[in-house]
Amino acid sequence: MGVTTTEGKPAAEDKSVQPKVLVFSCNWSTYPGLQLSRLEESGTVSEPIITMCTGRLDPELILEAFSRGAWGVFVAGCPPDECEHDGNYKTRRRILLLKKTLGQLGVLPSRLTLEWVSTGESAKLAKLVGDFTARMAQLGPQRR
Amino acid sequence: MVKPDAGPKPKVAFYWCASCGGCEEAVVDLAEDILTVVGAVDIVFWPVALDFKKSDVEALADGEVAVSFINGAVRTSEQEEMVELLRRKSGLVVAFGTCAHLGGIPGLANFHDRRTIFERVYLEAPSNANPRGVLPQTRSTVDGKELTLPEFHDTVRTLDQVIDVDYYLPGCAPPPDLILGAVTAILEGKLPEKGAVLAPDKSLCDTCPLNDSKPEKVSLAEFKRPHQILADPEKCYLAQGLICHGPATRSGCGERCINANMPCRGCFGPTPGVRDQGAKILSFVASIAGLEGEEKMTDEEVGRLIGQIDDPAGLFYFYSLPSSHMKRKNLST
Repeated sequence: MGVTTTEGKPAAEDKSVQPKVLVFSCNWSTYPGLQLSRLEESGTVSEPIITMCTGRLDPELILEAFSRGAWGVFVAGCPPDECEHDGNYKTRRRILLLKKTLGQLGVLPSRLTLEWVSTGESAKLAKLVGDFTARMAQLGPQRR
Repeated sequence: MVKPDAGPKPKVAFYWCASCGGCEEAVVDLAEDILTVVGAVDIVFWPVALDFKKSDVEALADGEVAVSFINGAVRTSEQEEMVELLRRKSGLVVAFGTCAHLGGIPGLANFHDRRTIFERVYLEAPSNANPRGVLPQTRSTVDGKELTLPEFHDTVRTLDQVIDVDYYLPGCAPPPDLILGAVTAILEGKLPEKGAVLAPDKSLCDTCPLNDSKPEKVSLAEFKRPHQILADPEKCYLAQGLICHGPATRSGCGERCINANMPCRGCFGPTPGVRDQGAKILSFVASIAGLEGEEKMTDEEVGRLIGQIDDPAGLFYFYSLPSSHMKRKNLST
């Protein structure tokens, strides 16, 4: 049985239902871009969660988000050779391993994504988050 | 050490749910110390060893049992009913062993549900002869008599997902020194704060005899499984390319697996402050993987390194799937 809204329409088709997308963003590269992008004002992202480095992002937090009904989780970090802490390599490995683990737990791996966004690439960030949110709107919420 | 008291002895109950019997064995493994324990308490219920019935427990006043030690995860309606009864009758409830604490090995059933488990066990398993395709029913009639079975739930739960739990005694099975320590603390009224895990707060790596051989920085370009290599018993398993759950697992087990030349699989549960043990194991495994020139590699190339881990969910949640954030596999997608 698909998830429906109060009007009985499938959630994925109901434009009034805002996809629950959580954005984790690196304080040093992505966050300045996120502020510039005015994504918050657009209402597409409720509230991005800032980490001091994506390497600091614990997979436990991502799993908690999915267990609490997130439709998708978007992680934005410094491009490979721009991280000052080499945390982004760890993040890439963690996200790849987490996607495989999520698949085994019945959560579509495509509901989790990692994107590299440099400082000042606010337009790119806005597009990536917007596209991801649109994909999550298509998928709708996780069925439980 | 427990000393017999002149006053009325505190009443103690033992019960088992979805478990293997190893936790019962662990009590017997107290060896001669069990005599001291038995001398100090009055065992009012212990299905595996003594002939008391459910009605004997029902006849007790609420709260009359000083402490119930309950092992096993909760899978059936009967287990649910019994632990609720014991909770009502007991001052303290101790989740005894990994299955009651985290779900344990029976918790791996949460990758499936009742339908798929019944189909596998009763229909598909090659050792079966079940031509009529009979599956267990909660009610059935045989020779005009109605027979009942407990309901088998879709999801295995930890004890604290069913009833309020006061303390946790971890381990598959809990080792005798921790059991005796817990019993002594209860009898002497020297218990820590409610909800405490009655085991050390360190990680297994901290107390591991192989810790000296653990390199400052482990970096693995290849993961191996225990059956693929003859592991060096004197060297940290992580340094040998074997995934060991030691960094994300609580100590106190006596390093039994390590001393048997096997890496840790996490039965003592997460270290303090961690809810999802599997996520922590995943996190450090990804951290210690590493490839030369990784910054120039594509996701696909890095993915091949990660792809060496065949069954990450089963490995990382070996003992703890029901207590994890996700609790079970979502089968509705």
